[in-house]
Amino acid sequence: MRPPILCRLLAAASLAVGLDAAAAPPLTSHYTLDPANSSLEFIFLQAGAKNTGRFPRFSVTLDSSGADPTGGRLEVTVDVAALDTGDKDRDDTLRSDDLFDVKHFPQAHFLATQIVKTGGGYEAVGALTIRGMTRETRVPFTFREATEGGATVGYLAGRTIVRRLDFGVGQGEWQATDQAGNEVTVSFTLRLTRAAP
Amino acid sequence: MALRNTTHRWGAIAQTFHWVIVALIIAQVTLAEMADDLPNGLRKLTLLARHKSIGITILGLVILRLAWRWLSEHPPLPENLKRYELALARFSHVALYVLLLAVPLTGWMFSSARGFPVSWFGFFQLPDLVPKSRPLYDALQMTHHTLAWTLIAVITLHVIGALKHHFWHKDDVLKRMLPFTRH
Repeated sequence: MRPPILCRLLAAASLAVGLDAAAAPPLTSHYTLDPANSSLEFIFLQAGAKNTGRFPRFSVTLDSSGADPTGGRLEVTVDVAALDTGDKDRDDTLRSDDLFDVKHFPQAHFLATQIVKTGGGYEAVGALTIRGMTRETRVPFTFREATEGGATVGYLAGRTIVRRLDFGVGQGEWQATDQAGNEVTVSFTLRLTRAAP
Repeated sequence: MALRNTTHRWGAIAQTFHWVIVALIIAQVTLAEMADDLPNGLRKLTLLARHKSIGITILGLVILRLAWRWLSEHPPLPENLKRYELALARFSHVALYVLLLAVPLTGWMFSSARGFPVSWFGFFQLPDLVPKSRPLYDALQMTHHTLAWTLIAVITLHVIGALKHHFWHKDDVLKRMLPFTRH
């Protein structure tokens, strides 16, 4: 029996990816987060009013083949349980079982194995996992490298919209979006330091 | 009934302001008491969001109402009142207007201080009146609560006064604010 067309296409695609990876330059630049000079914030609508919060604890690594992150690899791990909206009641509500359920899913994770150049900058294409659910997600960002005090640093910034219900953040009554909006804006301004090669 | 006030009767516009605000205040007290009894959750947030939207509505209506009162003539208090009755009537009316402005304003302020911005029925978001601060929130919340109960006390006095005029003095002070009454 001939293999179905989809399987053959997939095989061809994986072969192409494999060839592509072999041809890509090695990822020689390794950046890590400078947490004191970075922020990761989220904005959501509650009853039509903007509520803002931040994730004070997260880690970022970026591997690229130089000052241009195209073809690189970006990994972000967020300590969701540490979220902070400046109000304990609201934070506890967000951490609760029906929302982030931080008891079972204390971390969110984004792994982009594909970074492509776009008109305005770059786009990280990868797997975003929140509350145990993984979705392919594209995150646009800008990146520039600078030399500060002899050290090489990278500035990575951007914002994207995450639909919380795609990740099950909102069970039971929280599936309704009239009081707590589905679209959450996540914005980030990161300072990365490059490890000495 | 005429739209405008006359020297002996409140017009339809002033009456509408008065009775719509009465209905909204009843809704406000009901929503606040219902929300107070609930644990933190979606239902409480929903009730409080309505409470805030209605509060802003009252604030807007009171400003329009004061402008209308200032722009148009209005029926004077009866001439046969004793001095203390006149003083009490004047005091309670000024207190009503001041509290009708102060209660929603302090509510809006304490919401800002808590870091929960206020929106009007989800149509638009209002600016924060004060910066986010826990001590400020505590103080403003207590003020909002105290002023709200003071407003209820003055409203009670106002109702007693109106009923006293109607049943005791047998004048038209109550009737001139009632729709569907002949004068």
